[in-house]
Amino acid sequence: MEFLSDDVLFFIEVLISGLLTGALYSLVALGFVLIFKASGVFNFAQGAMMLFAALSLVGIQETLGVHWTIAFILTVVLMIILAWCVEKFVLGKLVNQEPIILFMATIGITFFIDGFGQTIWGSDIKTLDIGLPNGSIDFGGIFIDELALVAGLVAAAMVVGLAIFFNKTRIGRALRAVADDHQAAMSVGISLRNIWIIVWTVAGLVGLVAGIMWGSQLGVQFSLSLIALKALPVLMLGGFTSIPGAILGGLIIGAGEKLAEIYLGPFFGGAIENWFAYMLAMVFLLFRPQGLFGEKIIERV
Amino acid sequence: MEDQGRQIGDVLLEVENISLSFGAVRAISDVSFDIKKGEIRAIIGPNGAGKTSMLNCINGFYHPQQGTITYKGNKRSAMKPHEAAEQGIARTFQNVALFKGMSTLDNIMTGRNLKMKSGLLSSMLWWGMAEKEELEHRRYVEDIIDFLEIEAIRKTPVGRLPYGLQKRVELGRALAAEPELLLLDEPMAGMNLEEKEDMCRFILDVNDEFGTTICLIEHDMGVVMDISDRVMVLDYGGKIGDGVPEEVRANQNVIDAYLGGGH
Repeated sequence: MEFLSDDVLFFIEVLISGLLTGALYSLVALGFVLIFKASGVFNFAQGAMMLFAALSLVGIQETLGVHWTIAFILTVVLMIILAWCVEKFVLGKLVNQEPIILFMATIGITFFIDGFGQTIWGSDIKTLDIGLPNGSIDFGGIFIDELALVAGLVAAAMVVGLAIFFNKTRIGRALRAVADDHQAAMSVGISLRNIWIIVWTVAGLVGLVAGIMWGSQLGVQFSLSLIALKALPVLMLGGFTSIPGAILGGLIIGAGEKLAEIYLGPFFGGAIENWFAYMLAMVFLLFRPQGLFGEKIIERV
Repeated sequence: MEDQGRQIGDVLLEVENISLSFGAVRAISDVSFDIKKGEIRAIIGPNGAGKTSMLNCINGFYHPQQGTITYKGNKRSAMKPHEAAEQGIARTFQNVALFKGMSTLDNIMTGRNLKMKSGLLSSMLWWGMAEKEELEHRRYVEDIIDFLEIEAIRKTPVGRLPYGLQKRVELGRALAAEPELLLLDEPMAGMNLEEKEDMCRFILDVNDEFGTTICLIEHDMGVVMDISDRVMVLDYGGKIGDGVPEEVRANQNVIDAYLGGGH
């Protein structure tokens, strides 16, 4: 690509690295969307679940000295148990309650999971190494981080799978039904229990994958659960109920903040990256509150 | 969907001495009645008489503190709504409880939920099989859509439909489960005359063509008397009348309750 000037090459490199970071944001946001779509609950605990999953993976790998694949399977089992407990001890008691009450409950779950995870696995920063590549590839002058590339591909695969699952299968339809109306869903024979366990398990697995990707980059530490905050602007952009929206929102935020940092940063004295996403989200809230793909709320008067 | 003719058979559901209270409020006190196979059974009464509570007991949303419910000869212990659905009880709701974001077709498809076998894993792995099953059930749902004359709104998100049509879609969803006992909570509430007549026709047709037993609630006496085989009247949670429409119409307690006499 010698015909491109250095400036253009640099722009593309920044753009791609932004998009790949964005794919990671999307992964986190996906967990939120899943639970919101399927139960109408904004799950504040998604970040904590991601941290807990990553911590457990590393912890199991270290204490048992097993290969990461076995640790992965055990962590999946652990996330299923967690989902079961959440349903059994928290959500199951709150059927037909207002969304705000369920939201408060997820805040409680957050504190529990954070504390519980650190009690078992300790609060040191751990390195997560499951053999993901960490070099960078040179595409004719454009350097791309390999780990970010893998993350992007994994995110893409998960999105396609989940989209099909939600829109084309019986259980996907049951999940959407539960999100719309608990009572009606029960009356057609959908078991709220099972649906909630399934959806929290799936969200846990998405959290696990996101945790692995972020953990490989940043190390497994408490601040991992704060990345979940970055998912908020992503959701505002993409809409809380849309899987494609979560992806596109993530990509826009990821690319936007990197580009803004490089090209607008100097005018604002730098460090734009930290607040650009929230700014963008606010603009969206003003002009398109349902997000890019969110379901427009139609209220009959 | 063949014509099974209209015949009233044995007792399908028997409610004995049910009482239900919420704290100090008594919603139902010591009510007994039965529903026979194949009949249209109405429960009427003024607002707050305990009609919906009764339906919720049958459907498993509420669990009465006293009394028993016997369904198809088995005494039921406290059961969850989805278990009631598994045993063939479907229902509609007073304030239309549809899945607003979904299309008419998808809403009615959820009614097939229990008839579909493919589970979580198989629907993810055996994509082809799950799809074939989906198509089979789709055919049944299309029949219901034809029956209810709502072909034109198959793909419309139900949140956008007028109220009368929403009620019809909800009936469709209940029918999709091929219920033995269909509970209708005020199927005609808030409708104009024409819509009411349509709904009456559908209720009669469902009962006639599929042989579905129907238990419906209304607070408006008029329509109910015309289409029901037997009518039970509730007032303040207690039963004040029960019998064929003529008997109920002549019952002095019922007349008092409706005209406000004695209150």
